[in-house]
Amino acid sequence: MSLCKTLTLLLVTTLAPLVAVAQIAEAEAANPAVVAPLIPDTTVAINSSAPLSQRVVAYDIDANYDAVKHTLDGTELLTYHNLTGQPLDRFPFHLYLNAFQPKATWVREAKAMGSRDTSYEEWEEKDRGSDEIKSFEVVGMGDLTSKLEFIQPDDGNKDDKTVVRVIVPKAVAPGDYVQFKIKFHDQLPETQARSGWNRDFVLGGQWFPKVGVWWHGAWNCHQYHATTEFFADFGVYDVSLTLPQNEVVGASGVRVKEAKNFDGTQTLTYHGDDIHDFAWTASPRYRVAEDTFQGAMGTVQLRLMMQPAHWNQEQRHARILKESLDQFERWYGPYPYKTLTLVDPEPDSAAFGMEYPTFITGGTSWWMPALIHEPELVVEHEFGHQYWYGMVATNEFEDAWMDEGINSYTEVKVMDSIFGPDTSIRNLFGATYGEREDQRLFYIGAADLDPMARNAWQYANSHSYEGVTYGKTACVLLTLEKIVGEDTMRNALHTYFMRYRFTHPTKEDVLKTIEEISGRDLRWYFNQAVYGTQVFDYEVMQISSDPVNWYEKDLKEKKGETLYESRVLLHRKGDFTFPVEVEIRFDNGERVREQWDGQDRWVKFNYQKKAKIESAEIDPDHTIYLDRDNFNNSRTMEPNKAPARKLANYWSFVVQSLSQFLAWWLV
Amino acid sequence: MKEDTNLILAGLRIVSRHKGYIFWLWLLNLSLAEFGTAAVRNRLHTVLDHSLLADRLLQGFDRGVYLEMVARPEWGSSPGSAVPAMYFTILFFIVTLFCMPGVLDAYTSEGRPSREDFFRCCGRNLWRFVRVLVFYGIVAGLIGGALFSGHVALVHASEKSTYELLPFYTNLATLGVIFLVLTVIRVWFDLAQVDVVVRDQRAVRKSVIAAFGYTQQNLIPLLAAYGIICLLALAVLAGGIWVWHSFVPSSNVLGAFVVTQVMLVLWLGMRFWQRATAAAFYMRQATVDAPTQATADPTPAPEVTLPVVPPLDGDVKLLV
Repeated sequence: MSLCKTLTLLLVTTLAPLVAVAQIAEAEAANPAVVAPLIPDTTVAINSSAPLSQRVVAYDIDANYDAVKHTLDGTELLTYHNLTGQPLDRFPFHLYLNAFQPKATWVREAKAMGSRDTSYEEWEEKDRGSDEIKSFEVVGMGDLTSKLEFIQPDDGNKDDKTVVRVIVPKAVAPGDYVQFKIKFHDQLPETQARSGWNRDFVLGGQWFPKVGVWWHGAWNCHQYHATTEFFADFGVYDVSLTLPQNEVVGASGVRVKEAKNFDGTQTLTYHGDDIHDFAWTASPRYRVAEDTFQGAMGTVQLRLMMQPAHWNQEQRHARILKESLDQFERWYGPYPYKTLTLVDPEPDSAAFGMEYPTFITGGTSWWMPALIHEPELVVEHEFGHQYWYGMVATNEFEDAWMDEGINSYTEVKVMDSIFGPDTSIRNLFGATYGEREDQRLFYIGAADLDPMARNAWQYANSHSYEGVTYGKTACVLLTLEKIVGEDTMRNALHTYFMRYRFTHPTKEDVLKTIEEISGRDLRWYFNQAVYGTQVFDYEVMQISSDPVNWYEKDLKEKKGETLYESRVLLHRKGDFTFPVEVEIRFDNGERVREQWDGQDRWVKFNYQKKAKIESAEIDPDHTIYLDRDNFNNSRTMEPNKAPARKLANYWSFVVQSLSQFLAWWLV
Repeated sequence: MKEDTNLILAGLRIVSRHKGYIFWLWLLNLSLAEFGTAAVRNRLHTVLDHSLLADRLLQGFDRGVYLEMVARPEWGSSPGSAVPAMYFTILFFIVTLFCMPGVLDAYTSEGRPSREDFFRCCGRNLWRFVRVLVFYGIVAGLIGGALFSGHVALVHASEKSTYELLPFYTNLATLGVIFLVLTVIRVWFDLAQVDVVVRDQRAVRKSVIAAFGYTQQNLIPLLAAYGIICLLALAVLAGGIWVWHSFVPSSNVLGAFVVTQVMLVLWLGMRFWQRATAAAFYMRQATVDAPTQATADPTPAPEVTLPVVPPLDGDVKLLV
């Protein structure tokens, strides 16, 4: 080989890669997604050797918390994997904290319809929250801060800034990645909607810009409403929080790194796999208990962050957490995460009872007696969300009942199994209160205003939202047990969970799964209960027994000898049709059960027996929870005045006591 | 301390000598409560009498069933239940106000006044007692209002603390102080009422001023006597609840009625005991002060003679 050829070859082999690199760089500039990094397939935070979800996003966030001003300054590197099957040229982002401003949709709705936490009698500056984007860059496309525009897809309220959209200069091709570099500044409100500060406590929830979800061929990124919660894609979270060293911190995921800084701060780094949100809390006063639970997929580290005055309830909280984990694993499926943090939030803050992935808040008081199970109820409920909100991850904007409602149903099942059906909430001085009744009360307060299948922000009011989303759904599923059986229902929810975890199923997915597992066509029921607002109310309208020979002048009735003509009249008062059973009791001890398809407005049962009717009762096994009036489900021939006398005595005692109290102090 | 106990015992002797008044006022309260709760009673019977679900309110107390009952549209509004009861509560208050002069007359007299004397005394003093009540309302309203405002402010301030129990302790402390102050005012006006009856005092302001002096000079023993009786009333409440919970089955309506009414009778008795204690104190004080007052007071002597001091047992000491 001649020297010239050798030099040429050398030049070519040397330059060729350079040229190739230059070409790639040019291509990158043209299409930035080509070499964007993959979303990591880490399994640091899960008891699994492979990812559990289709990871769409990776958030890498660095944030500094100012505990005096209650502000956060952060940088966020968001990697998005376009799995939509089509080019994407626009991306919506949630800025949830902007909800807490006087003209925002959340505050407007909360003031008009009420909300769980806030009444807004008057506006105070400490109520204000904001999430301001300082700069917004799309890697490879430059700074697009000026291109950001607030949109209001739900109500057109131009003052609402909870959703911002960017249109990128070049569409991201299907299968490609895109990276967003966002600098943001948060002002946290005094706790509202389970986010913000209270005294020296802080709960960081919905605190960073979050991309919407591409769902069923369109972006799903709703404004934040007073009655809505959240919806997000699964992915990986790496979050570094810098905050004062005296703060005791808890967060979603696994703590992977901690460092003390020279300026008196600490930086704590967390990693989360297969989660769709990240929350954290800090307070200098938390007392922390560690525990473990041996789950089906591995050990779960439990971290309980208690208020000092509640430390004596730590065991109560640990117990209910482990029992809930145990029941859910046995009934519905495994809990795959390595951690679970339970936060006992600041008393009187609007931070109690909230769920985030691997992170929940409870709620108790220092005086809480052991026979009132409300702290257990809250913990169980929020833990249940780990399954329906956390892993199944339904769209809480549009199908709130699939999270809150199914969770309320499983809450009934778990609480009943632990504390007994009639005493699962309270058993104090002979006064009992069960979960089922609690859900029923929720439901009957707003039985016919809205269907379950309604966008969460479109309910008549927050009362209806809660009554239908929580209470009615629980009652619908409890009543469904009567049709398909309790075991079938459990099996159906197990199948639903295992099949749809780490996806975003629709309402039809869960309904079809129940039909599939039960092997029954349940459309007639779902159309009324889920999609309709029909009122369920059957009553025993009339019962009577008359001697057949009533016309005889000297008739003397003798028990067991006189023949009676007896009638039972049942009435469907509502427009919900449902097959019902009725039990008729006769005074000779005989019990007769009749079936009625419940289609007509009324039905009459006639008997000729040598016994009189004592009582008739619809749903004698008490398996129907949808009936809005249980008092008219039965009727006795003879009145039993004792219950009314008992309650009248209570009432009279109260009135007399008040009279004497008044006279004691004034005369 | 021995003297305080004696004062309490003296009051107890008076109140036990005139138990009938407690019985009649209790009966009156019960009767008025029956009227006041008639609407609720009717509704309860309408909903519960023929329903098997009512059994869950008889055998135990299922809070969910109760709430479901009051949530029914047929149950009606809360004011529908509360307003009639409130009217009868006010009626009981008025009747008590009317009867109290007669009771105090008996407590400061030897023997038992006749029915005519009782009601004559009631009638003669009714308007005076109303005026005492007005004075009481002004004093208790102003002082109580100021104290409650301070209480609210302190509790509000304590809620900013990171020490969770601070609001509770603040509540406890401030309400305790308010209770003591209002009890002192109550003692003051109880003595004023006795003074009005005993002296047949038309100018009730003089009774109020005199009673203020008595209270000021004997604050500790009087407050102690009232406080001890209040503690006994609390013990009656606790004991009653314990007996009710431990020994009366949930379905025993009559048993619950008896226990609750015994509690009410005892509470009523406690208040009458306080009044009797005030009466006993006043009579001793009057005995001591009478000669001095007779010379010092330039105003004509009242039409009625000075009261007959009830005989005190030998072991009872005068409080001076």
